[in-house]
Amino acid sequence: MMSTTHSDPRQPSTAKPYTPPAISQDLPADYSSFLAIMFGVAGVMLRYKLGSWLAIICCAQSLANMRNMENDLKQIMMAMTFAVMGLVTNYFGHARQAPVQS
Amino acid sequence: MAKRGLVGLLPTTMAVLFPRLDRLWWYLALVSAIALLGQELARTSAMAAPAEFEGFGEDSDELEDETSSVFPVLVPPPVLTQSGFETDRGPPEEEIKVSKPSEIPNPTENPKPTIKSHSDYWDEDEFEGLPPVELTPPTNTNPSETPEANQGSRKPKNLPPAGPQSYYIEFFCVTFLIAFAVNYFFGRRQNEQIALAWAAQFATKDGIFEKNFSLLGTGDGNDTPLLLKEGQNVFKFYASGRRYCQGLLATMELQSRHDLISRMYNFIVPCKDEVNIEVYMNEDGMDAVVFALARKKAAKGMHKDTRDLQQYASLLTPPSNRKWLSEELVAIAESREVALDLVTDTVLDQVFGEKSFGKYGKGLISLHFTDQYPSGSHRKMLRFKFALPSASNMADMTRLIAIVPYYIDLVGRYKLSTQARAKADSARTKVNQELYKEQHIARQEAIQRRKEERRKTLEETDTKLSAEAIRRKEEKDRQRQLKKSMPKIKMTRVH
Repeated sequence: MMSTTHSDPRQPSTAKPYTPPAISQDLPADYSSFLAIMFGVAGVMLRYKLGSWLAIICCAQSLANMRNMENDLKQIMMAMTFAVMGLVTNYFGHARQAPVQS
Repeated sequence: MAKRGLVGLLPTTMAVLFPRLDRLWWYLALVSAIALLGQELARTSAMAAPAEFEGFGEDSDELEDETSSVFPVLVPPPVLTQSGFETDRGPPEEEIKVSKPSEIPNPTENPKPTIKSHSDYWDEDEFEGLPPVELTPPTNTNPSETPEANQGSRKPKNLPPAGPQSYYIEFFCVTFLIAFAVNYFFGRRQNEQIALAWAAQFATKDGIFEKNFSLLGTGDGNDTPLLLKEGQNVFKFYASGRRYCQGLLATMELQSRHDLISRMYNFIVPCKDEVNIEVYMNEDGMDAVVFALARKKAAKGMHKDTRDLQQYASLLTPPSNRKWLSEELVAIAESREVALDLVTDTVLDQVFGEKSFGKYGKGLISLHFTDQYPSGSHRKMLRFKFALPSASNMADMTRLIAIVPYYIDLVGRYKLSTQARAKADSARTKVNQELYKEQHIARQEAIQRRKEERRKTLEETDTKLSAEAIRRKEEKDRQRQLKKSMPKIKMTRVH
């Protein structure tokens, strides 16, 4: 449709290779990992089971949305540790007193 | 640094063992499975050997052997608690703690010092009156008696909700996690299909981009991949080597189909797949042009938000003497002439006119041509934003993509008339002057502030001086004043 030009528009001599833009240090806040840490801490400190489970879910979300491995992985691993530890503390911290099922 | 805790070792081991992101998901699933398993274990162990939680502080050594087989799962996590809070602990400390739970010599001390949670629940002091009751259960392995003793000793504490009714949370969360994992793989594949369909349609052999650019893709060589994947829903395509422009970067921002929570959110607040094409024009390839084209509602927001549009351009009323854009579109330009020159008949016939817009042009979100782009390193830029159709209907976008090279040529060759050029130049110099003035004022303020600070520090040092020094200083000042007020005696030299 738009071949108003007769010559080849390409100019191999001017081709510039791709330079990825410099990674800005202040990344947009990763809300899911922040939430994960909050819930994880709540789950551990307040011994709130739902908190630990929500922390696991938020960790999963931030893992799924992770952009570059190096920067985000540390924070996500920290959040994960909190969450898993919260879960385990909640479930193994004190035995279920009542017999569950006979 | 050598101070790396157990948590710090995890990423590196993971990076070594599980280099791909998928593997992280397997890790997560594994962790969830372990948690579930542990839950089962806890349930069974609660029925079979509740005595492990007895005997706090007394005769716990015999318990250690019984329970050591059950506890290896339990002991590490509380240690991780510590490492979570104090990430600078080295691994040796934790390993020592992990390996020596049964070797703690002091029986009166809490035999499981690492399980701090138990001491939160009951103090040994609280059960001073009950030792006889508590001593017999450890020796008595009859399970039927011990639960009652447990109940009796723990009545003061709150009982958690008993029975199977309390498992709703776990059930819901585990199913959600499984659904999340499944959706991750499916959503990722869907996004990749859309991106690949777009690239297959336009960027492969005989596609529009191949005909217009000599270098396609982000690497050099022949076998480089065309698309660059930055995250599960962001794909980039780069092309370079054309007249009038330095390069083109197409960024596809798709819905976050891989994230179940975002997907649910997008049900409520619908979101479109977008492709954002940025063309970096050469310095001499573009005249002073500020032009934008968008749908009516979005145009007002766009005009307000982008700085260069606000400074230089205004919304245009459609001209009455010639055919113009469809009703839904509105142009923003620096001058009417520029708009009339850029919205050519070809474009109107093919994509943006009244007849063609509904069929071919409805994927348009906005166009923005400017030589004063407010941010980033490139000032002269053409930006095209289109909505992506679904993977099977990718050919619907052909005409929209075709206007990209058309406009590169058009803008590259376009020269403003003298009047328009004069107006544009004066507008730009005005803006530049204002900017310079602002910077000047800011610089002056900075200098003033520094002077103030220096004066303050001097005053402080002055007050710190002793009285003698003050007197000496005052003397000097007075002498200086005298000298100044004395008439200056001019001396002339005679050869």
